[in-house]
Amino acid sequence: MFVKERMATGLVTVGPEMKILEARQLMIEKNIRHLPVVDDAGQLLGLVSDRDMRDAMPSRLLEPQDYKNSLEKIGNNTVSDIMTVDLLRIFPYYTIQDTLLLMQKKKVGAFPVVNDEGTLQGIMSTRDLLKAFVNVLNIDEPGSLLCIVVENKPGQMKKIVDVITEENISLGSVLVARYWEKGKRAVFPYLLTNNVITVKKRLQGLGFEMIDPMQWYIDQLPS
Amino acid sequence: MNRTGLVYDERFLLHDTGLYHPECADRIRVIYKHLVETGIIEKLVVIGAEKANQRWIEQVHNIHYIMKFEESCMYGLTEFDHPDNAICRDTYETAFLAVGGVLKAVDRIMDGTIDNAFCAVRPPGHHAELDKPMGFCYFNNVAIAARYVQQEYGIERVAVIDFDVHHGNGTQHTFDSDPSVLYYSIHEHPSFAYPGTGREFETGTGKGKGFTVNSPVLPGRGDNDYCKLLTQDLVPAMKKFNPEFILISAGFDAHETDLMSGTMLTADGYDFISNLMMNLANRFTDGKVVSVLEGGYNLEVLPVLVENHIRTLAGLRR
Repeated sequence: MFVKERMATGLVTVGPEMKILEARQLMIEKNIRHLPVVDDAGQLLGLVSDRDMRDAMPSRLLEPQDYKNSLEKIGNNTVSDIMTVDLLRIFPYYTIQDTLLLMQKKKVGAFPVVNDEGTLQGIMSTRDLLKAFVNVLNIDEPGSLLCIVVENKPGQMKKIVDVITEENISLGSVLVARYWEKGKRAVFPYLLTNNVITVKKRLQGLGFEMIDPMQWYIDQLPS
Repeated sequence: MNRTGLVYDERFLLHDTGLYHPECADRIRVIYKHLVETGIIEKLVVIGAEKANQRWIEQVHNIHYIMKFEESCMYGLTEFDHPDNAICRDTYETAFLAVGGVLKAVDRIMDGTIDNAFCAVRPPGHHAELDKPMGFCYFNNVAIAARYVQQEYGIERVAVIDFDVHHGNGTQHTFDSDPSVLYYSIHEHPSFAYPGTGREFETGTGKGKGFTVNSPVLPGRGDNDYCKLLTQDLVPAMKKFNPEFILISAGFDAHETDLMSGTMLTADGYDFISNLMMNLANRFTDGKVVSVLEGGYNLEVLPVLVENHIRTLAGLRR
């Protein structure tokens, strides 16, 4: 999965000369947390985050008159005064995985996506990333999760997938996780069906262990 | 002792789902047989089904959907929209009978012939959406009955309690923004079980905010969590709502031997639920409650759980 398919496009952008109060209104109205600032040619100059904006605003704790006065004082400032220019940019050909790791490493909430010429193409935010993962897990579609313990050796997944295929069930997603027992893995196929009885029986028949729900319960108890 | 109605009709068996489908005709065949063998049937008022008037089905389902359903059955197709939803030529008619059976139970309660009723109907209904069959369901029997109670009998506040192990997405979505119907569901947590909705934060929308209550139960938590969540979530919601009529989506698939789920509810847990239902009905609706079969797939346990449930409705507990 590439950033190109998952980034937010059709962005609201502003020029560097826009007054900050006007930009603030725009961000509130359009419910956006990151406002890209571009020049006439579409080159990305900077980004105004909602934090940049809040930092620039007078404190809400001020007396109403003082607040108003302070607002007037900054009324002539433009977005170029408050935007972040030292930006981490990513490219449309980056993968979702790249973005995820980068976000974790750099602790930022959004990346502007630019092409090789530096022209703004879109934004990839934590919100877009979450949406991508809901899609990857397929959990916005009706289905049931199986929890299967398998030995950590080749060929196990094939057996599971074969059963699912033979039962004519669509696979929403599969997660594989480290299991608490050494040499074993937990496989979580998300099946797009309500009808899990036969699949469960057949997997058990092949010697697979379905994670015992009671194990869950015991794990939740304080030790 | 209560006069309890049992809606059952041999024509419910006509909905043929093929050889290996869990939602099979044997489900209600074994229920009926068991009620006869235990002699309980003699203490019940048996009510046959009749086809529902389509205008009531249209209160919940889109006319194009109803037509598509009829067409799919007429063509002789074996599934409708998804392999889960097995159909045959008779499915369409059977679905009308199931709805009609539930509506008839409502009529008998309202004309005073019976106090309450259990409807051993199929196909089940609580997953069926406005324009989509889901999870073995085509017409949302309970949702349609709720509209019927309100419109035919001028009853304002209807509570729907859904204890099938799966969340009743169709019912919830029907009444999402409707403050006149309280939808409460207790089910296996949606991260594990079909259909993946019914999380705690789904509480209704717009005017219906607060009139949807969901209690997801994690796998393996069994009777303890059911008792705890029903006491802590359902009871206060009912007190606040003060319903005039109760409809139940009764699913027996949360049982520890039912492979459809991992909630590990026992027969005692089901007894707790049934008792609570009757207590709520006695407290709020003058005993008026119609319980409608949804899931339950272990053919050895299902009839016993249904028997217990009916005994509680009828006040026949040993």
